[in-house]
Amino acid sequence: MFTYSLTGLEIKSAADGPEEVEENETTARSAVYQVLGAFFSAPDRDHFDRAGQGLWTKELTEAASLLPFPLEVGELTLASDVDPESYSAEYARLFGAGCSEALQIGAEDRDDVEAKLRREYEYFGLAVSTDRRAADDLCTECDFMQYLAFREAATGSDRLRASYRKAQRDFLERHLLSWVPDMVAAATALGPNAVYSWGLDRLDTFLRSDLDYVTAQLDG
Amino acid sequence: MSTEDRYQRRWCWDRVTWGTHCVNCLATCPYRVFTLGDTVAFEEQGGTIEAVAEGVPDLNPLGCQKGSAWSVQLTSEDRVLHPLRRVGERGGGQWEQITWEEALTEVADAMLDTIDEDGVESIVFEESVEGGLLSQAPFLRLAGLLGAITLDANGLVNDLPTGHHITFGKFSCASTVDDTFRSELLLQWHSNPAYTSIPYHHFISEARYRGATVVAIAPDYNASAVSSDMFVPVRPGTDAALALSMCEVVLSEGLADLEFASTQTDLPLLVRTDTGRFLRERDIRSGGAEDHFFLWDEGNGIHDAPRATLRLEGLKPALRGRWPVQLADGSTVEVTTVLSLLEERLADYVPERAEELCGVAASTIRTLARMVAGHRCKILEGFNTPKYYHGDLMERSMCLLLGLTGNWGRPGTGIQGLALAGLDGYFLFPMKTKKGVEETARLLEGIEQAVETMRERDPEATDEMLGNQLLALSASSGTSAPPVFFNYHHAGYRETWNRAEWSDPTMKRTFDAYLSDAVRRGWWGGVARPGAATEPRVLFSVGTNPLRRARGGRAKLLSNLWPKLDKVVVVDFRMSTTALHADLILPSAMQYERVNVQYPITHTLRLSFSDAATPPRGESRTEWQIFSALAKRLSERAVERDLLEYVDGRRQTRHLDRLGDDFVVGGDFASEEVVLDEWVRDSADAGTLPVGSSVETLRRDGSIRFTGLGIFAPGLSVAADVSPTDVMTAFGWHVDKGLPFPTLTRRAQFYIDHPWFVEADEHLPRHKEPPRMGGDWPLLMTSGHSRWTVHSISMGNRPLLGTHRGRPLVVMSEQDAVECAVREGDQVRVVNDHGAFEAMARVTPRVRPGQLIVYNGFEPHMFPRWEGTNEVEPGMVKWLHLVGKYGHLRYLPFGWQPVPADRAVFVRLERVEAV
Ligand code: SF4
Repeated sequence: MFTYSLTGLEIKSAADGPEEVEENETTARSAVYQVLGAFFSAPDRDHFDRAGQGLWTKELTEAASLLPFPLEVGELTLASDVDPESYSAEYARLFGAGCSEALQIGAEDRDDVEAKLRREYEYFGLAVSTDRRAADDLCTECDFMQYLAFREAATGSDRLRASYRKAQRDFLERHLLSWVPDMVAAATALGPNAVYSWGLDRLDTFLRSDLDYVTAQLDG
Repeated sequence: MSTEDRYQRRWCWDRVTWGTHCVNCLATCPYRVFTLGDTVAFEEQGGTIEAVAEGVPDLNPLGCQKGSAWSVQLTSEDRVLHPLRRVGERGGGQWEQITWEEALTEVADAMLDTIDEDGVESIVFEESVEGGLLSQAPFLRLAGLLGAITLDANGLVNDLPTGHHITFGKFSCASTVDDTFRSELLLQWHSNPAYTSIPYHHFISEARYRGATVVAIAPDYNASAVSSDMFVPVRPGTDAALALSMCEVVLSEGLADLEFASTQTDLPLLVRTDTGRFLRERDIRSGGAEDHFFLWDEGNGIHDAPRATLRLEGLKPALRGRWPVQLADGSTVEVTTVLSLLEERLADYVPERAEELCGVAASTIRTLARMVAGHRCKILEGFNTPKYYHGDLMERSMCLLLGLTGNWGRPGTGIQGLALAGLDGYFLFPMKTKKGVEETARLLEGIEQAVETMRERDPEATDEMLGNQLLALSASSGTSAPPVFFNYHHAGYRETWNRAEWSDPTMKRTFDAYLSDAVRRGWWGGVARPGAATEPRVLFSVGTNPLRRARGGRAKLLSNLWPKLDKVVVVDFRMSTTALHADLILPSAMQYERVNVQYPITHTLRLSFSDAATPPRGESRTEWQIFSALAKRLSERAVERDLLEYVDGRRQTRHLDRLGDDFVVGGDFASEEVVLDEWVRDSADAGTLPVGSSVETLRRDGSIRFTGLGIFAPGLSVAADVSPTDVMTAFGWHVDKGLPFPTLTRRAQFYIDHPWFVEADEHLPRHKEPPRMGGDWPLLMTSGHSRWTVHSISMGNRPLLGTHRGRPLVVMSEQDAVECAVREGDQVRVVNDHGAFEAMARVTPRVRPGQLIVYNGFEPHMFPRWEGTNEVEPGMVKWLHLVGKYGHLRYLPFGWQPVPADRAVFVRLERVEAV
């Protein structure tokens, strides 16, 4: 069975339908967003340890096992000379103040970008977590996709399923894919270490494939 | 500061937002609003709308002089900037400024007193399209939560094409305006688009450049006639005779598209010659249906008329003839076709006879008829026709002309009125108990389920028919009430409407008798409210202006309705005539000071956004703020007064202590921006707007094109596919897909076999002279919109006033001027048996002798003694419009209902003072 696990968002208005569903193609997509969201949060010791233990690739492999499209998980090797401090420093070097839509697109008013996103989340019964992770943080946006995909899997309503699908395509087009590819390109140009090189590549590939898949579902 | 600097400064700005004007024109042209600090500097037409179809001109620039001067009104002298309470007599002009707290408490207490003592149905709100959806939705929400009465906007303003409804079972056949470009023949009939459709007028010129012929059919040589290829001067009120004569020519000269007429209309349906009623299934089969009709298949005889489609599916209906038919009881009757009966009727309208009636030369009638028959013809109509007492007969005749010539549902055809585009989110909103997509899905699924249940009972019904059924059902449990009953019982119209000499002479009984008959038969069940015993006590006018608008006049309302009212509450941004007679005025924010959208229409098929470019001036507030605060205050005062619940007029228990919370759904809808965002997102989710639409996309783009017609009846009535790359032609579904019309016979229906219609000899279209409304006087007064105002909303606009004489005018012919010894510029008095008003004479050769034109939109307080033009308009309603429970002739909000007439009022004129 699968359920969502949100870190950047929290439930404001509970949706109808189960909180756990049988794993399938759609929960696999949700699970991949879960893993990628966690991977791109600011690294702490646990993040570092998981890289060292190969857990990121393991989790992504497991999450992606039922994906309806191929996702090459590949290998992730943490170099032996990387310590927790340099591991965190690499994140800061690549992403500066964080992976955020407003920063990436150079928005004049970050509050404005966040306010728009908050409204988007609210329409789907979500609010930004009280831990004050930014609404435009990559993890929060991945959380949102994770939740939408989960609800798509959980709902018994054809209409709602279509609503969730349309929302995913729209969010990918208007948000994630409007800035993440640029962020990936910019970070890649800085020569990321093997861990982030792996993550950036997976993120970029997955988002594009997911959009193609969701679009095909809707058009089909 | 140098002159140059001062000039430059006039055009400086530091912020640009989108704006539009949520006023009755409904055009919602997107404007760029340029603001410096907290002051709007100026506005410009947006001009950013993408072209839709290859080779068809785009909508740009959209706009008019009124919109381009809108910002001037933000600071005009007639703005109301603080809550005001009357001091002294009503209308005495003495006011004291009070706090919002005081104002809301006073209103809340008046409402609670009323609920406690007389019941909530004594609280009445006037509906309108004035001010936009975010002005209307708040008070409609409060009225809905309270179970109060809201008077149907269309029963008040009469923009209701009753003839369209009788014929098509729907409001209008309104294509997108760019369809005009595809016409070969444009008939400007009962319309003056050079005045009233300024943003769209270029399509007429563009159609002409590509070879279309433009014809103006009007009594006067109006501004639109000037730029037409042909001017057909028709005697006022005789358009039905002209149209029917053209029909006669089309049929007698063999020019009719009879295949089109056979599939689309009721012309092949069988009618019993003994009763004049359609032959129904129950006539010939025991237990047969009342709404199941027949045609005569050539070669095979009587055959069921298909109900699920307009397609004939191999049938060859005979259009003319008489045949015997055996009834269920074994007897035999003769039947004939509607067309046969029609042709008998049209014998009265051969061109030479029609010329005597309508004043158009027989040769011109023939020429025009042949032009219509040979071309893709569109009638550009508007809302002038329904304002004639017999406007329905005129429209039915005009529709008949199109039906005989294959002129609807095809590019460049149809009769262009106006239709609302279905903004689904707006219709869903009152039902929402929480925010968000889950709730939306729940509601939409509920609606789909209800529709499917209805479909099980009638598997051949279209979505549009089922949507209408749903609308009718919701109307019988909603707040909306056709104003005819309110006006009859409470506003002093009963006596007027019973004046036989002002009514149609074919009425066999008094108006009283017809009205009580209609009510007794349950034709208006559930909506004939408030009853005679429920006197109104609190009246809300939110952006409406009944003392200017009401046919019947300010004097009638002030002497009949006003004395019954404990509290007249006006919510407006300006000191209208009604505000001048109010007890309390609550100042509302204007467009450009608040977020808003107007009712979107299919003319543009776009939703345009008006942003808050500046904060509201003074203490003015948005309607959402006003009515959410009032709801909260009502709750608080109810608790203080221990009046926690009551039973409304529909026996539903209402809880006042929860009202404030319910209004904002526990805080989910705290502001109008959140509300609008929800409407837009819900509409996108339902498929009417592009996926991903929100307030933010509106704020970015200013205007969004619809992607669908929605799931609710108003949108579906257009019956056409919406394509991102094509013009939309109304009624395409009927013509291309054979989808039936939502009428009793499921066809465009020209034969109405209701006994009242038969009694009035209006079972088929015919011409009737306008009744002598106002008395037996020599001059006939008509009206229409002027160039400068959409009703009275722009009347305080100094630049606009400076572009004309800035005062009401009586426009008259040179001959009448001589006869009345009046010269250009004289002050004249227009008088009849109902009332009088004075204005300046404008003498011009463009008006025909015998006619006076007084353009509407002037405030009564712009006339001496504040007596406006409506003082001479009795506001008669046509008794036949009380018919209900006859297929499509049943009440629908904003639709079928009796409406007051104001065109063709009889008057005399005298000079008051020379120039
Ligand atoms: S007043 Fe009406 S027609 Fe004129 S610009 Fe504004 S929205 Fe358009």
